[in-house]
Amino acid sequence: MIKVLHYLNQFFAGIGGEDKAGHEVLFLPHAVGVGAVIESAIKVHAVEYATIACGDNYFHEEEEKALQAIRASIDQFQPDFFLAGPAFNAGRYGLACAKLCSWVQDNWRIPAITGMHEGNPGIREVGRRLFVIQTGASAASMPETLKRFSLLIERLISRDKKAIEDFRAEHCLPIPRRFTVKTDTPDYVRAVDLLLAKLNGQPYESEIPRIEAQQDPIPNLTGRLKDATVALVTEGGLVPKGNPDRLESSRGTKYFKYAIGDRDDLKRGEFQAMHTGYDTSTVDEDPDRIVPLDAMRLLEKAERFKKLHDHYFVTTGTGAMPSKMAEIGAGIADELAGSGINAVILTAT
Amino acid sequence: MVLITCLANVASQVGIGRIMAGNKFHYPVGQPELPPAEELRWRVALIEKALVSLETAVEEPKIF
Repeated sequence: MIKVLHYLNQFFAGIGGEDKAGHEVLFLPHAVGVGAVIESAIKVHAVEYATIACGDNYFHEEEEKALQAIRASIDQFQPDFFLAGPAFNAGRYGLACAKLCSWVQDNWRIPAITGMHEGNPGIREVGRRLFVIQTGASAASMPETLKRFSLLIERLISRDKKAIEDFRAEHCLPIPRRFTVKTDTPDYVRAVDLLLAKLNGQPYESEIPRIEAQQDPIPNLTGRLKDATVALVTEGGLVPKGNPDRLESSRGTKYFKYAIGDRDDLKRGEFQAMHTGYDTSTVDEDPDRIVPLDAMRLLEKAERFKKLHDHYFVTTGTGAMPSKMAEIGAGIADELAGSGINAVILTAT
Repeated sequence: MVLITCLANVASQVGIGRIMAGNKFHYPVGQPELPPAEELRWRVALIEKALVSLETAVEEPKIF
């Protein structure tokens, strides 16, 4: 007997539209709407299907009460699988689905599956190892999405690890976050286990999800370099001595710009590198080794380009979240574009 | 934009257009073994190479 508990909002549970968004948690001992489609798709197994319905607003405004009611339903029904959604691009629904699935998986240690569009804000609430099936932005992708829910349940029932991970790779959203998890095995044991699995040709998976870089178009210089203003940018953490703005030396969340308009050279003792990712002593001896101002001034005087921008930009690119670094990069790029910069030299350690 | 880094292969994998190999991981545009005047000459030559890369149109990651 396979027991499935499915969370739906008031709309998909057929209770009503926005006027019923304040509807409290309702346990129904049968499948409803999309749940009935999934139940039918997995009917070769003996399935007991139940539904939890809840208003989109109620979940967020009365989250504690909602969780309490859902906890009672789970404790009573004892599901083997917890499903929520799919929520497509619906924000409140997506947040509820992601939070609930993460909460259920953490507390009851059963597989939890939801589905949403990659733009859904619920993505930010997704916990580690959750299955988040990628959907289109609207319910137009419902039939295909429900097939995927059913397929994943089948694979989970079969306990075929490879098929499950293949499904995750093909149909689930990659979650660009790191999570703190508790484990009984120390890191050095897990690291050696991973290595042994790799050497023995067994399946293994890094604990840190691989984040695929987004490919952006490569810009080319539009005019002549002779007419261009060029800016210097670095992730090497170089700041004025004393680090007045408190740039972090790792896990950076900020960037700054510092004036160099009246300088021809960055002198020892006036700047220092804040960066735990490299030995900064050589750069501290001569900061031009990371922000090559002296060379740029000579080439500017030789009229290789028109002007060196009067500020350099800096962040610390070590130990940080790629998503945060992308934000920082976009912030620097916006400022550069707004200052009429034509080209950039970026130094990285 | 040109990126001066010692991890050129990583830069290429993430799709950076213009990539130049820096000298060392912890001083990409430095050469501390040289006397100061020579180090500056070396750095000017390196940055000149970076400027040439900026003048070069690229469509996919290219290591200069």
